[in-house]
Amino acid sequence: MRPIAWRSPTRHSRLQIVLAAIAIAVAVALPVILVSVGGGVSAHEIAQLQQTGYVISVSSAGMHGISLSHGLVSEFNAIPRVAASSPVLSVPIDLYAGGVTPTAVLAEGVIPDQFTPTLGPSEAGLFPSPLPLGDPTDLIHYANGTYTGPTTLDALISTPFEAASGIRVGQSIVLSPSANRSLGTAFRVTGVFGVPPSLLGPTGAFAVIVPLSDLQVLTGWARTSATPSSLLDASDTIQVALSGAAENDPSQINAVAAQIQSLVPYYGVTTQLQQAQQLENADAILTGFYLALSSVGLAVGLIFLAIVLVRRVESERRSIGIRRALGLPPRWIAVGILARGEALAAAGIVGGTVLGVIVISILAAYGTGAVKQAASLATYDPILLGSIAAGVLALACLASGLAARSAMRLDVVEALR
Amino acid sequence: MNSPSPAPTIEIVRVWKRYLPSTTPVDALRDISLTLEPGERVSVAGPSGCGKTTLMNMLGLLDTPTAGEVRWNGRPVGGRSERERARLRLTGIGFIFQRFYLLPTMTARENIELPMRAAGVDRAERARRADELLEEVGLAPRAGSFPHQLSGGEEQRVAIARALANRPGLLLADEPTGELDSAATETVLALIDSVGSASGATVVTVTHNPDVAARSHRHITMRDGRVVDDRREE
Ligand SMILES: Nc1ncnc2c1ncn2[C@@H]1O[C@H](COP(=O)(O)OP(=O)(O)OP(=O)(O)O)[C@@H](O)[C@H]1O
Ligand SMILES: [Mg+2]
Repeated sequence: MRPIAWRSPTRHSRLQIVLAAIAIAVAVALPVILVSVGGGVSAHEIAQLQQTGYVISVSSAGMHGISLSHGLVSEFNAIPRVAASSPVLSVPIDLYAGGVTPTAVLAEGVIPDQFTPTLGPSEAGLFPSPLPLGDPTDLIHYANGTYTGPTTLDALISTPFEAASGIRVGQSIVLSPSANRSLGTAFRVTGVFGVPPSLLGPTGAFAVIVPLSDLQVLTGWARTSATPSSLLDASDTIQVALSGAAENDPSQINAVAAQIQSLVPYYGVTTQLQQAQQLENADAILTGFYLALSSVGLAVGLIFLAIVLVRRVESERRSIGIRRALGLPPRWIAVGILARGEALAAAGIVGGTVLGVIVISILAAYGTGAVKQAASLATYDPILLGSIAAGVLALACLASGLAARSAMRLDVVEALR
Repeated sequence: MNSPSPAPTIEIVRVWKRYLPSTTPVDALRDISLTLEPGERVSVAGPSGCGKTTLMNMLGLLDTPTAGEVRWNGRPVGGRSERERARLRLTGIGFIFQRFYLLPTMTARENIELPMRAAGVDRAERARRADELLEEVGLAPRAGSFPHQLSGGEEQRVAIARALANRPGLLLADEPTGELDSAATETVLALIDSVGSASGATVVTVTHNPDVAARSHRHITMRDGRVVDDRREE
C-alpha cells in the first residue's frame, strides 16, 4: 500500500519544509560536534594516560606537597614488584640566558635514575638516556638531608624552548626563584628533551629539567625557611612504576597501591585504573551535559517541525476532507502524515550529521591552537550518534502525531463547505 | 473484493440537525423522517438554505444528527465507530459533489483508482476497472490529465467514475451540474441516469434542474428544514 501521494506542494509550503529540515539539521549538528569532539579528546587523554610508564601516583594537595621525598623512594622501592619511584617537583621559575630580562618557565626537578623508568615507551625516545644530569641517584648532593654534597648544576631544556630561546647545549643559564638574577644559580645546559604531541599532558609545559635536590635548594623546598634546620625535601607527586607483568595486572597494581597507602596514610594514592575511570566518568558527565544542552536546540527544531506539519494539515484541509469523505481509512491518512514528518526528520538527521562532520573537519584543518587539536581528535561513536538519530526520530514521530491528530479531528463537513 | 454492494434500505428517523454558530442557532433539519428503498431514483429540491445538503450529509454518513437516528439496513449508524463509517462510505456510498472535489495532485486515473486502492483492490483489477470507467464516462484519452487540465464537465465525469469505482449501493449527487453549462449538464445527468439504472443502486440527486426531476421516480421537496412534499410516480 503506497502512502498517499503528497506531490507538488506549493512553493510557499516547500520553503517551510526546507526550513524545518534545516532547523532539525542545525539542531542535530550541535550534539554531533560536541559529543564527537568531547569523546575524542577524552579517549585521547585516556590513551595518553595508559602510555605513561607509571601506574601509581602519590600526591598531596598541601603547599609543601610530599615531604621527605628522597626517603620515600627507598621505602617504596623496597616493596616487591616496585621498579622505580620518581618524585617530581614542579615550580615556576625565572630563567636568565644572557641578558637581564628573565623568561618565566616551569622547571621540573627529578631523580634521574628513578625518572627514566617511569617514562612510557613513546615518551622514552624523547629523553637522552641516561639523563645527563650528573649524579643519577641525586643522593650525593642530598647527603642524607643535609644538602651539603657536591652538585653538578646540570640542566636539560625542551626542544621547543631551545628553538624559541636560542639557548644551546653547553651554554650557561641562571635560574632564579624570583625576578632577581643575583638570587639565582648558574646551571649548565647538558642536553635537550623532546615534548610529546600531547594536548593536555603537563610535560609539554615544562621547559627545564634539573636534579630534584638542586631545584629544592633553589626554591626553598629543601628545608623550611622558618626553621632552617628541619628537613622538608618536597615534591608534588611520586610516580611509581611496577616491574614486568605487574604493570598490567589490576590486582597487583591495587595490592602495591594499598601497601604504599599504608606507608603514607596522609597522602593521596591513585592508580592509573582509577584515573582512567575518573576520566571516563568525567567524559560520561560531559556527554550527558552536551546532550542536555543540545536538547534545547532539538526541542526548538521539533516544535518548528510540528508547526510546519500542523500548518500543512491546515492548508490541506480540503484535500484531507475529500479523502475522509471518500472513506479512506483514517489510519492511512495518519500514516501518510507521520511518514512525511519522519522523512523530514530523517533528512534533517542526515544533513545535521554531515554538517557536524564538515564543521569538525573545517576546525581541524583551519582552526587554531587547542580548537584545531581537539577537532582533529574527534571520534564518531556509531552507538551514540545512532541514539541521537533514534531520539530525534522518536520525537519527530510525536510532532507529526500532533499533526495527524489534527487531521483526524478535522470536521469533514466543514472542510468540504 | 470489488463486488457490487447491494443497494441498502436507509431510514431517517425523526432527525434534527442544529448548528450552533456564534449568534443564533440554526435548525437545518427539523424532525425529518423518510425511508429510501433499494434502487429508488430520488430527486430532492427546495430553496437555497432549506437543508438539502445537510440531508445528503446525513444519508452519506458524513454528519451526525443532533437528535433522531439514521439506520442503514435497519441498523442504527450512530453507534458505529468512525472507522466503520469510513469503511461504509468507501465501499457502500458514492459521492458526487457540486464542486467535483477531485484531488488536484492526482491524475484522472489516480483519482479513480484511489478509493479502490484504499479498499485493497489489487493493482491489475484497479487498472482494469479504471479503464472500464474512463471508457464509460468517455474520458479514456484524458486518463493522464490532472484536474486543472480538464474542463468542468470533464472533471465531473471523472468524479462520477470515482464515485462508482467500488460499485456502491448508494449514489449521492449534490447539485452535480450546479457549476456546469447546459451541454455539460446534459452529458452528466445522462451519465448519472444510465449508470444508476445499470447498477441498480439507489440514486439521490439534489437539483433545481427540472430534467433531473423528470428522470426520477420519487420527488422530495424541502422547505425550512422540513420535507413538505414527498411524491412517488406510479
Ligand atoms: N456549519 C454550519 N453552521 C451554521 N449554519 C449552517 C452550517 N451548515 C449549514 N448551515 C445552515 O443550515 C441551513 C441548511 O444548509 P444546507 O447547506 O443544508 O442548505 P441547502 O439546502 O443545501 O442550500 P443550497 O441550495 O444553497 O445548497 C442553512 O441555513 C445554512 O446556513
Ligand atoms: Mg447545498
